[in-house]
Amino acid sequence: MRGTDYVLKRVGFAIVTVFVAVTINFVLFRLAPGDAVTNLSRVPHATPQLRHALEVQFGLDKSKWQQYVIYLKQLAHGNLGISYTNQQPVSTNLRDKLINTLPMVTLGTVFAIVFGTFTGVIAAWRRGTKAERATVFSALGFYAMPTQWLGLMLIIIFAGVLPTGGMTNEFLLDPPFWTHVRDLASHIFLPALTLGLVLYGEYTLIVRSAMLETLGEDYILTARAKGLKPRTIVRKHALRNALLPITTLIALSLGYIVAGAILVEIVFSWPGIGSAVNDAVHQRDYPMLQGAFLVLTVSVIFFNLVADLLYFRLDPRITE
Amino acid sequence: MTKKRLLAALPLFLGALTLAIAATGCGGSKSSTSSSSSSGGTFRLGTASGIDSLNPYVAFNQDAYSAFEYTYPILVQYDSNLHYAPFFAKSWHASNDGKTWTFKTQPNAKWTDGKPLTAADAAWTINTDIKYKDGGAANAAGLVNHITKATAPNATTLVVKYDEAPGPTWVLGQFQQFFILPQHIWAQHIGKDGAGLKTFPNNAPVVGSGPFTLVKYQKNQITLFKRNDSYWGTKPKIDEFGLQQYSNDDAMVTALKSGDLDAIETVPATAMKTLRNAGFEVSDVPGLDQTDFIINSNPQKKTHRELLDLKVKEAFDHAINRQKIDEVTFLGAAQPAVSIIPAPAGAGWHNPHLKPVTFDLDLANKLLDQAGFKRGPGGIRVADGQKMSYNVVAPTDVQSIPRTFQILQTDFAKIGVQLKQQALDSSAAFAKMTSPNNTYQGFDLAMWDWTALIDPDFMLSVVTCDQYGGWSDSGYCDKDYDKMYTEQQVAPSEAKRRQIVWAMQAKLYKDRPYLWLANDDSVAAVSSDWADFQNTAQGPFNELNIESLTQVHQK
Repeated sequence: MRGTDYVLKRVGFAIVTVFVAVTINFVLFRLAPGDAVTNLSRVPHATPQLRHALEVQFGLDKSKWQQYVIYLKQLAHGNLGISYTNQQPVSTNLRDKLINTLPMVTLGTVFAIVFGTFTGVIAAWRRGTKAERATVFSALGFYAMPTQWLGLMLIIIFAGVLPTGGMTNEFLLDPPFWTHVRDLASHIFLPALTLGLVLYGEYTLIVRSAMLETLGEDYILTARAKGLKPRTIVRKHALRNALLPITTLIALSLGYIVAGAILVEIVFSWPGIGSAVNDAVHQRDYPMLQGAFLVLTVSVIFFNLVADLLYFRLDPRITE
Repeated sequence: MTKKRLLAALPLFLGALTLAIAATGCGGSKSSTSSSSSSGGTFRLGTASGIDSLNPYVAFNQDAYSAFEYTYPILVQYDSNLHYAPFFAKSWHASNDGKTWTFKTQPNAKWTDGKPLTAADAAWTINTDIKYKDGGAANAAGLVNHITKATAPNATTLVVKYDEAPGPTWVLGQFQQFFILPQHIWAQHIGKDGAGLKTFPNNAPVVGSGPFTLVKYQKNQITLFKRNDSYWGTKPKIDEFGLQQYSNDDAMVTALKSGDLDAIETVPATAMKTLRNAGFEVSDVPGLDQTDFIINSNPQKKTHRELLDLKVKEAFDHAINRQKIDEVTFLGAAQPAVSIIPAPAGAGWHNPHLKPVTFDLDLANKLLDQAGFKRGPGGIRVADGQKMSYNVVAPTDVQSIPRTFQILQTDFAKIGVQLKQQALDSSAAFAKMTSPNNTYQGFDLAMWDWTALIDPDFMLSVVTCDQYGGWSDSGYCDKDYDKMYTEQQVAPSEAKRRQIVWAMQAKLYKDRPYLWLANDDSVAAVSSDWADFQNTAQGPFNELNIESLTQVHQK
């Protein structure tokens, strides 16, 4: 029963958090100075009628409270609204951008998780050696590196070898499937690598720290005394017990995948959700911002919930 | 996003890293990758701006309007000397009272779906814009100002009636920016009160009648145009061209150098030398963009009213080192600016008698001393008991501002005036400047830029009282100026209009709501494999005419 209570509590907390986030999403963007109508009505030959027409069209002539109620009603029907800037449904805009973002960010994140965990374990196991110093130095270096700077450096280094922008070669009309795959892979490599290298540093440092704590425990000493192979000690005794902080980090990373990576997407002209959010902020496209942040919020909360539930499985002490 | 792309992502998760490394050999291809097999080839143009919508009632970016220039019929266009030239209208004349204009249009023209394009389409578009100018067609309302009705007595005659006699250049200036839409497509999408005009996505392939057909559009990525073989004018020499959008200038320049692009429409000043050295043809022509230092000139201004003093404004003008701004900020790719109508606008609208004031800090100090503003603690002058210390609103999306501001700040300190940069994004900056409630009490000084059109009407309008809360970013409001603005619209001849336009510029030169800083060049670059790619004051992909991309061809 205590386990059921735990699960119900976590799910309830997640639902309340989503609702609070929905409200904050609505209020936050309207607190920022500037408004959508000002931007969109500043075209040559615009007249006062245009400004008024846009206000009526977007419902901005109504009170904030009325706008909030309309927003909630639409949301309850699964309607995220219409983008102010291109007049298309926000859900369609977000879906298109998410589909573009997910492969690139997922690839970078998976690379970071796999490579970072591996180097973190090596650094902890080889403590005090050159291998540890080199790993920690490179991890700190990449972790501290501004993402956009790293991206620009990679563009310079790989100029002429890999494409510097975009998601595919759009001048290829109806290419064969494998040509398209190769084209996509060549475009995805640099942005995914940029993201992966920055995240890799973070994973290495956290895994190393968690492993060092575990490796100092008595049961590791016992395992060594029993003459177990180092690989067995790391895999079966140390890494398993270091999984809690790593699980949290992975859950957080996966939650943020849908946010894209604004800087990486801008540097590499990647048409994903990160650059769409950047555009929407500049254009005060409230429905797009609300929709994007709602998706982000739900994603982060969902993966945190998954982490909470995994904790329940990984660490029985939680329910004690 | 196609199903194909989604499917393609699956193998990425299985062997992406290896595959990507193996695929590195396919980057940087020099040749066009289009599947087109005809001889004209594909011209690949990089842009930092891009097309925001294919719907003329929604679009905002200049690239979108340039795309419409190539896809929709327009009555008149500019020739290379920036004079009006026939386009879809072969000729035109006004009635004796000047209130009726008749255009003879191209015969036997067709839309890209094979339907006939006639003067009736033009009349329908004009009448639709008039009917829904308070709703769905609001962003075209300025283009049909003073028009009461348009008719098409036959397939090649368009008759436009006005409520008062407009000036001839004003009429042609409006129609040069007016896109004629296919009635048989758009009439189905008007919707209630014209609201459908804005929500119709006008997806590719777009039904048009220009030299190119817009066949593919992916927002923030690519727009592809194919030669329209049924076009009624001279056919383009290339088979197709594409506009690829980059959100990072450095990546775009690298793509050009790597052969992934054939040209880029805006070259950062820092890349000009590199590209020239790499063998690219870099075209550097005077442009239409001007950066400015704005002095809040609202006559009702409540604080820091010393900024309304013409002596103070003159002193500030003498403290601007325009030559240094040109050399440091624009690396020589700019000229000192002097008037609201930049000289490259051509067609004789710029007042050539106006000259930039000298950079003379001694004179600036002398003027402020004469005005009675003595230096106080820290060397900062005091006006009406307050330090002459001002926040300068600076939009973050104008890249030249930070460097220019540093130059201004250093020189203004030498005349006892303290400047502090207040960086805001453009939306927040405009809100700050017009606050509260469009009364223009919320700021003292600002920096921004303007991109002029060829016809002077628009630029002259932005300092009228009517533009409070609209285009005005200076709070300037002067009844005499507004009177001249109306007069130039209905001037009976081009010479008379020019006289008024010059007088308006002279007045602004004296009243100084803007201190003009630099008139930056339009810089484009093209691979040496291509010829006749024409750059203009508005860039190579522009809304002036269709010369650039109909003339370009492989060497």
